[in-house]
Amino acid sequence: MMESLPLETAEKIILRWDSTASEDARDKMIFAGDRDEADLYLQAVDEIQRSLSSVSVSEKVNSAIQIAMARLEDEFRNILISHTNPFDPTTEDEPSQTLDPPSSSSSPRHPHNDSDENDEVSQTSLLRFHSEGAASSVNSSYRSNSCIREIDLIPSDAVYDLRCIAERMVSSGYLRECIQVYGSVRKSSVDASFRKLGIEKLSIGDVQRLEWEQLENKIRRWIRAAKVCVRTLFASEKKLCEQIFDGVGTAIDDACFMETVKGPAIQLFNFAEAISISRRSPEKLFKILDLHDALTELMPDIDIVFDSKSSESIRVQAAEILSRLGEAARGILSEFENAVLREPSRVPVPGGTIHPLTRYVMNYISLISDYKVTLNELIVSKPSTGSRYSGDPGIPDLDLSEFEEKTPLDVHLIWIIVILQFNLDGKSKHYKDASLAHLFVMNNVHYIVQKVRGSPELREMIGDDYLKKLTGKFRQAATSYQRATWVRVLYCLRDEGLHVSGGFSSGVSKSALRERFKTFNAMFEEVHRTQAVWLIPDSQLREELRISISEKLIPAYRSFLGRFRSHIESARHPENYIKYSVEELEDAVLDFFEGTPVSQHLRRRSE
Amino acid sequence: MPATTENNQGSFLGRISIRRNQVLSMDGTHDQEMEDLELFQKHVADRFSELLSSTTEDSSGDALLSISWLRRLLDEFLCCEAEFKAVMLMGRDPSQIAKPPLDKLLPEFLDRVVKSLDICNAVTLGLDAVKNLQRLAEIAVAALDTTPLGDGQVRRAKKALAGLIAAMLHEDNANAKGTERNRSFGRRSGNNAGSNSKDRVRSLSWTMARNWSAAKQIHAMMSNLNAPRGAEASGLAQPIYIMSTVLVFVMWALVAAVPCQERNGLGTHFPLPRQLAWAQPMISLQEKIAEEWKKKEKKGNVGLLEEMQRMEKLGQSLVDFAESFQFPPETERLDEVKKQVEELGEICKRMDEGLEPMQQQIREVFHRVVRSRTEFLVVLDQAGKLSAPTV
Repeated sequence: MMESLPLETAEKIILRWDSTASEDARDKMIFAGDRDEADLYLQAVDEIQRSLSSVSVSEKVNSAIQIAMARLEDEFRNILISHTNPFDPTTEDEPSQTLDPPSSSSSPRHPHNDSDENDEVSQTSLLRFHSEGAASSVNSSYRSNSCIREIDLIPSDAVYDLRCIAERMVSSGYLRECIQVYGSVRKSSVDASFRKLGIEKLSIGDVQRLEWEQLENKIRRWIRAAKVCVRTLFASEKKLCEQIFDGVGTAIDDACFMETVKGPAIQLFNFAEAISISRRSPEKLFKILDLHDALTELMPDIDIVFDSKSSESIRVQAAEILSRLGEAARGILSEFENAVLREPSRVPVPGGTIHPLTRYVMNYISLISDYKVTLNELIVSKPSTGSRYSGDPGIPDLDLSEFEEKTPLDVHLIWIIVILQFNLDGKSKHYKDASLAHLFVMNNVHYIVQKVRGSPELREMIGDDYLKKLTGKFRQAATSYQRATWVRVLYCLRDEGLHVSGGFSSGVSKSALRERFKTFNAMFEEVHRTQAVWLIPDSQLREELRISISEKLIPAYRSFLGRFRSHIESARHPENYIKYSVEELEDAVLDFFEGTPVSQHLRRRSE
Repeated sequence: MPATTENNQGSFLGRISIRRNQVLSMDGTHDQEMEDLELFQKHVADRFSELLSSTTEDSSGDALLSISWLRRLLDEFLCCEAEFKAVMLMGRDPSQIAKPPLDKLLPEFLDRVVKSLDICNAVTLGLDAVKNLQRLAEIAVAALDTTPLGDGQVRRAKKALAGLIAAMLHEDNANAKGTERNRSFGRRSGNNAGSNSKDRVRSLSWTMARNWSAAKQIHAMMSNLNAPRGAEASGLAQPIYIMSTVLVFVMWALVAAVPCQERNGLGTHFPLPRQLAWAQPMISLQEKIAEEWKKKEKKGNVGLLEEMQRMEKLGQSLVDFAESFQFPPETERLDEVKKQVEELGEICKRMDEGLEPMQQQIREVFHRVVRSRTEFLVVLDQAGKLSAPTV
């Protein structure tokens, strides 16, 4: 406890440190030097202040207080500046950051990438995503509890000094100068920290011009940086303001905090805002959902850090951005559905195999199922479906009453599959060969079924009822195919029309029989040649269809041969008419749907 | 479920209701349309007429480029925007706005909208810088408002005012680089209050992206801003042109008034259609503002905001007073100073009351144009009229 100074002494001390008056005063900083010196100065200031409240205030005292305040302002600035170490993100980064959720791994995640790969590979990559998803519990890692972690930006003895100075400045009515200095120094520091965290200054125009792939990277980095910013950087600045200014006048800590972080906070959120207003296209959905989830997770922390009245605008802005991101997600889903419906390619896929659109859509839906927790919150209305609604025959019908129990998101997925099929049906009509059209539909619907069956989430969302419908559809297509191709082939092997009454032959028209054999051979050969090139990618389905064909074809042929071969063999050049043995026919069926051509010359029946 | 239909405005339900309108609004509405277009023109003209008339010498209205005048400008903009959207989208077959030449004009307009968003942000930041000027002025007011007025108070005021003036005169590319951290104390002069505060204002105003320039942005918005001619002039191309012009004008006026990054070169060139009636009030306003700009160009100005201009004048006068001050002061001088201090205090009060709401209004403008843009994009996308978006 020091004794109070006599006023004269105090004045002398103040004047001694008047930086406008002496070189010496300018070159040294009180608070950077001897502790006693600083205490003495503060005491002097207190004495001057005390004397201000007396009845008559001398001009000297008036002047002295201003000199003291100017000096303190400089000291204040100096202390602040000597402790602006930019924030080191490597040490402050959250250790609890778990595996990145599947969405943030690179390109394989992109729904387009599987379109050229064969089924097996795409199956594996999907599985990889699923297992990653399970390991990091996708959505729960983004919804972990708030973890604000403040650090001490300035050592406590410096904080103490700052506080001492602030008290005196504020009580002398120099509050504004104090805020001004504090804000400008700390703001520079935050700026430097931002650079270290890799936060870029991008205008909205910049963001609109960048390629989405580049933006995906930036989004990823932004999410990491934003968490550190809100939970540690801003929170620590707030703590610092409280440490220095709490109790020193009214709401000064709030004012200083806003001075410091308002600009940076707006800059930070500007990026998310720019993303939320970017043009909508399907591939953006998942990164936007990532951004949405990250911001959702941050909102409680934002509410805590920016809880004062003066920082309301920042909270409001963050909430607005979040809402826009949700809208964007909804809009993109709608865009996607439109795009699937209107996808215009008319060039038929060779061999009737899986259309790239099918792959793309199923991959996309699969990703949607990964994000179902968030999307179930965002997607609140079911699709308004069907030509009944719009009178537009270009839109398929879907009876929503069957799906009362389902969430809107689930119904959207079903709707997407409905639209996909609708589109595929349209595409199938571009095949000249009706059989191929049926095969195409069969292949693609089967692919859809397999994808849904292969994913527990999808299966649960789509539901077994609809799955059954889909299964029925591809089976129906298979049947239609068989009818389209084989009815006329088997027609050659019918009994009727071959027998004649009377005459020397045993009741069989040899010419008719020869015709039959010739026709059968020609037809089969053509079908064989054509359909060997067709493709059923799924081996099991391929097998099943072949077996089904064989089951009808082989017995019919065997029986036909059995009954009528003698008539041919008793005449000339039987080999012109009986080209296939039963075994050869069975082998030939194995060529079907392999996707590769067979040689033109079929083995003739060996003599 | 009203909440959700709002959310789905851009998607299915929105589409469905537009289709229903399609059936209803067939022929017979053509006259109604023409009327709507004419009304829109008239309303725009009226609104800017109002804004113009309040700036004349003898009116008691808001001075040109004052805070309250700018706030009214923003309000009028919101009204124009709302009417524009109604004209373009309501009761109309949406595919109409995707037909040529609109399929080119509308995306151009939307591009200008995106550019205006950055301007909104820059101006908002600029208003924060003005708040800092306000704070400096408040220091001076608080200091000079004391009686008896002593050396101490005057010195304090002088320091704040010197900072204020320096901040208002510095050019964007001034050599006042560096932040608080980089100044070396050893070489400080006693009267470095000037550079002190220059740094203050510069570092206090958060900057936009590197290389971003408000002037360039405005110029980019002006490109291809041509009045529709011939047959096009009677269709929807006209309101698009009008709205584009309004948008560009408002942004231009804001940038002229408020400090923001790189205003140099904003210049006064503004291609307004001299021959169109609705544009006359706007042209007059533009000429007035251009005149102001020319006056200040030599000295370098950070913004034509009326309160800032007056603040600078008062600040200069008070600094002169402060520099020649000797205790005890003469009473006549004091009376004069008192008046000026009062006026300065009044300006601070206006800023205190008006800057924050103005920032909120700008934010509202931001929201509105974004929302409208989204709606337009949905219609254009559906009509397949947009090239695949880069972003």
